[in-house]
Amino acid sequence: MIATDILTPLLGLGANGLPYGLPIHPNLVHLTLGLFIAAIAFDIVAALYPLEKPIFKFLAIPVTSSNFYDVGWFNMVAAAVITFFTVAAGFYEILLAEPPMDMTSPWGLGAMDTMIWHGVGGVLLLGLIVAMTIWRGFQRYVWREDRARQVQWSYLLAGLGIFVLMFAHGTLGAHLAADFGVHITADRLIRAGLNPNGQLNLLIKTGLIEMGGLL
Amino acid sequence: MLQNLLPPLNNHNLPYPDTLHPIVVHFVIAMVLFAIVCDGIGYFTKNARLYEVSWWNMVFATISIFIAIIFGQIEAGLATPYAAAASDLNLHTLIGWSLSGVLAAVTGWRYILRLRSPDSLPMAYMGMNALLTVIVVFQIYLGDKLVWVYGLHTEAVVEAGRAGLLQ
Repeated sequence: MIATDILTPLLGLGANGLPYGLPIHPNLVHLTLGLFIAAIAFDIVAALYPLEKPIFKFLAIPVTSSNFYDVGWFNMVAAAVITFFTVAAGFYEILLAEPPMDMTSPWGLGAMDTMIWHGVGGVLLLGLIVAMTIWRGFQRYVWREDRARQVQWSYLLAGLGIFVLMFAHGTLGAHLAADFGVHITADRLIRAGLNPNGQLNLLIKTGLIEMGGLL
Repeated sequence: MLQNLLPPLNNHNLPYPDTLHPIVVHFVIAMVLFAIVCDGIGYFTKNARLYEVSWWNMVFATISIFIAIIFGQIEAGLATPYAAAASDLNLHTLIGWSLSGVLAAVTGWRYILRLRSPDSLPMAYMGMNALLTVIVVFQIYLGDKLVWVYGLHTEAVVEAGRAGLLQ
């Protein structure tokens, strides 16, 4: 947010405070969360396979538990890779954020505190996801290569714990968007005293990039 | 009458704290796109194990999209879109419902392919993947606009709308 004074003339920031029309970080978040949660979910399904066997038989879906472990492993690797970009995009967009400072979130935090916690949490989660991937890799290729159950119960439990952390972390991110209106064009127009209903069609047609001067 | 059974609407115009549709769509967006990536890598490296990964991701995505639509309809119904936002919301709704049918059909097709020849994918399926990518990316773009341009369900827009300032 401090950076915007210097960067605005350099980057040609649009009405949303970014040099492009739609924020990138929230889109990469879909991939990070989807891949991580699915990875743990499929490993749980694999570990409980003996219980589910009759269900898959009833549905006439041929299954081996090693298929599910493959999903658990490859989804986790993909989550680890993509999350570097998620965090990088997040830091770039947080640097350009100009949230209102006179309000608090539903959790009673100001914009600055919310951004700091969301930034710290992002780095922490990146570390945890990478650590989980390495742990998972050791289980798959070294420690439990010839075991029927490829993952330790403690790994699955750690995954569920990270879900809780992700929920809290994601809620902070939601506060930045839906409460503080960070990088949301309409919210920024409203706070600048403009009516988005009148302005948006005009902005979209003329290109958001050009409209930095309006604010 | 139904309104009386729900908690009162908050400052996001929702009966619960935050929008749920954007959370549930994690599991459609990530799973479909990753399935397509796995199909691509599996196709060129001839690694049939990755086809299993994409199949199960498609199953997960197909189940998720119906849950995404349920929350999407609830939240679209409570979005009170202003005139500038209405047409994109309508198109997002139309494509979303269509996508549920497309995804279910593709996953059903994949089920049969997996039974008959689990180690290979026909060119036609790869072409379908390309088309699916285009539809999904366009749908994400529309959903992004609803949140990040029009700010539906954000505090500022809800407040301005309630005050009648978005005519």
